[in-house]
Amino acid sequence: MSHRGSRQLQVSGLARVEGEGALHVSVRDGRVQRVAMRIYEPPRFFEAFLRGRAFTEPPDITARICGICPVAYQLSACNAIEDACGVSVGGQVAALRRLLYCGEWISSHALHIYLLHAPDFLGYPDAITLARDHREIVERGLALKKAGNAILDLVGGRAIHPVNVRLGGFYRAPTRAELAGLAERLRPALDAAIATTQWVSTFDFPDLELDHELLALHEPDRYAIESGTPRTASGADWPLADYPTHVVEQQVPHSTALHARLDGAEFLTGPLARYAVNSATLSPTARQVAADAGLGAVCRNPFRSIVVRAVEVVYALDEALRLIDGYEPPEESFVDVAARPGVGHGATEAPRGLLYHRYAIDAAGLISSADIVPPTAQNQAAIETDLARLVQANLHLDDHTLTGLCEQAIRNYDPCISCSAHFLELTVDRR
Amino acid sequence: MNATNDVVVIAIGNPYRRDDGVGPALAERLAARQPSGVDIEVLDGEPTRLLDAWTGARLAIVIDAVLCQPAQPGRIHRTRLDDLPTGRPAASSHGMGIPEAVALGTVLDRLPRRLIVYAVEAADIGFGTDLTPEVAAALPALLDAVRADIADDVGRSDDPED
Repeated sequence: MSHRGSRQLQVSGLARVEGEGALHVSVRDGRVQRVAMRIYEPPRFFEAFLRGRAFTEPPDITARICGICPVAYQLSACNAIEDACGVSVGGQVAALRRLLYCGEWISSHALHIYLLHAPDFLGYPDAITLARDHREIVERGLALKKAGNAILDLVGGRAIHPVNVRLGGFYRAPTRAELAGLAERLRPALDAAIATTQWVSTFDFPDLELDHELLALHEPDRYAIESGTPRTASGADWPLADYPTHVVEQQVPHSTALHARLDGAEFLTGPLARYAVNSATLSPTARQVAADAGLGAVCRNPFRSIVVRAVEVVYALDEALRLIDGYEPPEESFVDVAARPGVGHGATEAPRGLLYHRYAIDAAGLISSADIVPPTAQNQAAIETDLARLVQANLHLDDHTLTGLCEQAIRNYDPCISCSAHFLELTVDRR
Repeated sequence: MNATNDVVVIAIGNPYRRDDGVGPALAERLAARQPSGVDIEVLDGEPTRLLDAWTGARLAIVIDAVLCQPAQPGRIHRTRLDDLPTGRPAASSHGMGIPEAVALGTVLDRLPRRLIVYAVEAADIGFGTDLTPEVAAALPALLDAVRADIADDVGRSDDPED
């Protein structure tokens, strides 16, 4: 900062995510030979840190992995531990969990759409430059994000590492009056979300269709968010307890992250996967908005993920209002969860994709092992393949232009760069 | 939520990433003897949250960890708005921070009247819940500096010319 002389501040120094992000592309005789993305640090520390802790602790500790999607970590952890303990949470407590998760989707998607993704399509280097020309658009995005934050603040206690979530439910359930006040703030946000979808649907999208398998949670009667059973776009499904046999993580030499394979193949989780598996369970409003935006039942163009995210924001607001409308404060804000030795599985749909947790609990009620499989670890192999194709098709560009193109492509997936990749460092090794 | 008080102290960081937790550690110490009229917020650095936290404030003091090369862990840099570095566009929504918040706040007229940023040079931002000794040793001086800024602001607010 006040660096002088030979001192040099790393560009990522004030960015929130720590570490470095890099993309290494090897080109031999005009062919892309290998694309290696080093962007993601796996939650190994947290897994080690969790061993020997009380079975009640993982929801809070794992929420620290990510400041942008703490609810995802909290609720995947709760689901897994409750599964191990033979407890199921239903009724209004489950509804409150879904409401809280809607807040996280709204907040996270609005941030991504407005501050990161939209400028790419409009020819702006960033949201700041976009705001100079179209202040009202960026203001709309910030207002939308704030509506999500309002849910997180009220139901979660606060938006950064919500403190109100506990095993079995919540420390305190909101009153009807509190939620009625919240609904007043969400109604105009729903209009803003619909306008957002209309706006992003007018962007120009490069033609690109992905053939990866798509994997998402599925619920028969609603768009899966805070619970569900794994299902692929080609219709295969299996119980969550079989997740580790279908989704297998492997070490790869270029990354500290494990790369996951679904039954041996690359696959994607996230908005495109959710939409492909679950578009029929969207609310009528969200379905109509999606149709008006030109989305069919399935969308396989990663650039159009911005439209899918916008539709999911519409749905999350619509769903939040429905949940508030039907809310009756539960007699108890949580279900008692007693420790029981065993293994439990839990999964939810984080904004970036399916987040799976597995815990083993010992006879003393302590965590004896923990596995966390985040969406980015699952998506990484597919993202690398997509980047390889993109680079191959654009090898004629200079490194600077190519880097920009790769950054844009990576933004389609909004990976968790939990190591401070403030910008991407691209190395093209051409021989 | 706009700032409810005239002065807001915003600590950015993750206490599970060793020295990245220096901001939250400072916030805890400051809150133990909280000056009146001062809000204390612990945030993860996401820019729109920063805007919300400091909009309407007369003075915002932001504390964050910083990596420098060459490093002198524990050294405290006090800086004003215009010295902040700017980066390239983030590749992910996980990659945005103070410079983006300041730039966005400038365009949207959502900056505090005065902004002071303390950046504490980190030795280790790997996983872990404890500060390194060098950074922990910097905490008393950092606390004194923040308290002095707050006291100085109270003096200024009495001055109708400011």
